[in-house]
Amino acid sequence: MKTVCETMREKRLYFDGGTGTVLQGMGLPAGQSPERWNLEQPDKIIALHRAYLEAGCNILKTNTFGLNREKFSNYRELIEAGIACAKEAVKGREDAYVAYDMGPTGRLLEPLGDLTFEEAVSIFADNIKVAAACGVDLVLIETMNDSYETKAAVLAAKENSDLPVFVTNVYDGSGKLMTGADPKAMIALLESLGVDALGMNCSLGPDKMLDIMGTFREYASVPVIVNPNAGLPMVQDGQTVYSIGAEAFSDYMVQLAEKGASILGGCCGTTPAFIARTVEKTRSLPYAYPQEKNWTMVSSYTHAVVIDSDPILIGERINPTGKPKLKAALRSGDMNYVLNEAIRQTEAGAHILDVNAGLPEIDETASMCGCITAIQAVTDVPLQIDSTKPETLAAAMRLYNGKPLVNSVNGTEESMQAVLPIVQRYGGGLIALTIDENGIPDRAEERVRIAEHIIERAAQYGIRRKDIIVDPLALTISSNPESATVTLETVRCLHEKGIKTSLGISNISFGLPQRDLITSTFYANALQSGLNCAIMNPFSAAMKNTYYAFRALHELDTGCADYINYAAAETAAPTVTAAPTETTLHTAVVKGLKEEAIRCAGVLLQDTPPLSVINEHIVPALNEIGQAFEQKKAYLPQLLMSAEAASAAFEEVKKRIPADKTDSHKAIVLATVKGDIHDIGKNIVRVLMESYGFTVYDLGRDVPPETIAACAVDKQCRLVGLSALMTTTVPAMAETIELLHRTDPNICTMVGGAVLNQEYADQIGADFYGADAMDSVRFAERFYAAQTE
Amino acid sequence: MTHQDVQIFTAAAAEITINRRELAARLHTDRQFDSPALAACQQRLEQVISYRCAYCRVPVDLTQENVCDFGFMTIPSRSLYRSLRGCREVYVMALTTGIAVDRLLARLNVTSQAEHFMTDALSSAAVESFCDAVCQRLREGVPCVPRFSPGYGDVSLSFQVPLLQRLHAYEHLGITLNAAYLMTPVKSITAIMGICASDDQKEGDV
Repeated sequence: MKTVCETMREKRLYFDGGTGTVLQGMGLPAGQSPERWNLEQPDKIIALHRAYLEAGCNILKTNTFGLNREKFSNYRELIEAGIACAKEAVKGREDAYVAYDMGPTGRLLEPLGDLTFEEAVSIFADNIKVAAACGVDLVLIETMNDSYETKAAVLAAKENSDLPVFVTNVYDGSGKLMTGADPKAMIALLESLGVDALGMNCSLGPDKMLDIMGTFREYASVPVIVNPNAGLPMVQDGQTVYSIGAEAFSDYMVQLAEKGASILGGCCGTTPAFIARTVEKTRSLPYAYPQEKNWTMVSSYTHAVVIDSDPILIGERINPTGKPKLKAALRSGDMNYVLNEAIRQTEAGAHILDVNAGLPEIDETASMCGCITAIQAVTDVPLQIDSTKPETLAAAMRLYNGKPLVNSVNGTEESMQAVLPIVQRYGGGLIALTIDENGIPDRAEERVRIAEHIIERAAQYGIRRKDIIVDPLALTISSNPESATVTLETVRCLHEKGIKTSLGISNISFGLPQRDLITSTFYANALQSGLNCAIMNPFSAAMKNTYYAFRALHELDTGCADYINYAAAETAAPTVTAAPTETTLHTAVVKGLKEEAIRCAGVLLQDTPPLSVINEHIVPALNEIGQAFEQKKAYLPQLLMSAEAASAAFEEVKKRIPADKTDSHKAIVLATVKGDIHDIGKNIVRVLMESYGFTVYDLGRDVPPETIAACAVDKQCRLVGLSALMTTTVPAMAETIELLHRTDPNICTMVGGAVLNQEYADQIGADFYGADAMDSVRFAERFYAAQTE
Repeated sequence: MTHQDVQIFTAAAAEITINRRELAARLHTDRQFDSPALAACQQRLEQVISYRCAYCRVPVDLTQENVCDFGFMTIPSRSLYRSLRGCREVYVMALTTGIAVDRLLARLNVTSQAEHFMTDALSSAAVESFCDAVCQRLREGVPCVPRFSPGYGDVSLSFQVPLLQRLHAYEHLGITLNAAYLMTPVKSITAIMGICASDDQKEGDV
């Protein structure tokens, strides 16, 4: 018997239709798990499968959709029984396959949910091991709402069996998964993981799936599966019916087949009659296995970035080389700094962000993985994982939600042997550097030769040519006068061969004055030579000017719309030296105008000593809004906006104060206690404390007592603020206070949060209860004033 | 999958008016409070918000005192029993503003606590307003008692497990629970609303 993959190269295949739909007709009560019938009523499950086989289907989905160790203690027996039913039904049939059907866990993965990626892989792996041991023809991962969970399921299937893997996701009316991915993002991810077929099921009827099918046909290189619902459910006379009948359903399926769907079937509301009509109407339609598409794509959990004629900007700012603030942030684990850089670069127009977390004295793999997870929680642009360590690349690629860009492999045998298997396993676009055992060649043709050698070696690992992006290495012209011309020539040659390219643009001007001038001119030349990706500073106006102008000049910007928007924004952008207005720093802070506060602080600092700016302008303004808040003349949103404006102004001032002159003794450790994930109150206190010049060690939420105590000791900080919102977590607060006082009797604890009051605070041994954020700031000021005295 | 009797209702941002009373309570302001920053937060929120609701109508058996038997789950509760007294059927529902709101809040948590605070309040008020709109729609021609959510009174949050399963809330709405039975997307609501068997039962929500 041919394998399912062999068969689908030759002809159209058909999945079965709805399971619950038919089983409810056989007496399954609404709300009961159909999988229990695998053990309780196997004859009915077999009858269901046979009905579909008679309708013409040739891939049966086992009745195992909802089974996993989280939901059913006897999931193994239920999976085995489900597979046994399907195998019994296909007995004697040479033309039918059994797909082990695996649905989602029903839990959301971190960072938004609480299921870790590895736990998800483990849950799916347990299922796959059972299915593989039973002997099935393929794995169908279906009804997946989330790209990350889909990735976990595919990895589990690949790592625990040699079975073909088919995947269908649930797209809603907007054409996206519930967690945001569009079809292109899923195609990029799934094909890079090596699935054998992909597509969509559930939620939509075949009419709506027609709208999405075009994207699948254009971008997918593997067969596309379409298993729609029978339209939308409606209640008529107390009965639920679906909006599309078998006849109309099968007419739509004809259109889907004509648009390129290779494997047809059904989901909710469909019955053997739907499949029978679909098979009858589509059997004689011409069939062709999909052609390999040549798109170079990387993706995030929402969208794919296609690397083609439109230039791609890769933000270079999350790389500690030459950036002391980022180095300090990575060393101290200050993720806020990293995240701000990520968000700012995204807002500045970067399509992809490079992430390099390598510092000699830190655990690079842990640091990289922490950065990847945290950055993906706040921005949805694809990431370029940048490390020289294969183990760091592997860990980060596994964890990454999407298909990453990987920086990098080079032409040395050692590098290729280390990196290519990782890319083969986890999928990704791969930056290939034109350097080998003999160094960087002086001539363009030699660099091209190294690129082609890497591409050939990558092919041996199943990595496609389209997924290799060559970096011909721009070195500074200050020490390598011929660098620019050779690099540009290499880009041109590679472009002519249809090979994608990337360059770390800024290197070209290293060591020269007015670097932006050289860098942006080189960038224009490189774009003219066919460059696809530039690793660059998205805040550089000169680079952005070149980018927008090039796109407008090369028919990449319809109606010059992007250029016009960019030019308009640039013209309107205020500068530090803008004409003074009536606004003072005091009013800017009181009114909560952040940009205005920064500008006013800059103007004041031209002729006012930094400490005077703080003491005579910022603090009085803060006190004014603080008093208004206490007197209920101003509200919390206004207080917060003022605090942020004051903090921004304070940052400007700090740049002018020598480090030893700052008020750094005023510090506080803040945390939301273990078990509590509500941190708004704590964050409000943080903002206010920072605006008053306190150094805040913010440990986040759900923090164990030991971590809080360790931080207080490590930072020699004797003021600790704890927050809790839920009554269930107050014991954790009491436990933390007890540990802190035991660790150091001089530690002062202040508490706050919705569930607390003075009486409660006294009961748990807190030194101070803050009724609101201002109350907490006033106490902290008094605490340090008393310490100074 | 078995969820034929579950109905889906969606609404665009423009269709739901955020209740200013709810908003003021969460912002700790009075109802008249407004500011350009708040308006900007609302505009940004409404660009990403996606209102979705799944509901179904199921029978309830109240034969045993202080026990509410819905067939797919049985809740021992004095407060829910009192709320449903006289009902023979209920609507069970789950609603959400979608995961993009969680992502927006995560980003604002990094960039601006003021905007985070205001957007959090706006999205909490938004999901309550959406729930009110759904309940009002369900009540058209079908008098109902006030809606009741797990976590109120003596009904444990753990009953969100069977309730969300019954509605296939993961498949339809993307709602999941963590170990403490808290929902993601964070701005989500589950509720049970009794359908009045007689006219003397009151309307209004708790």
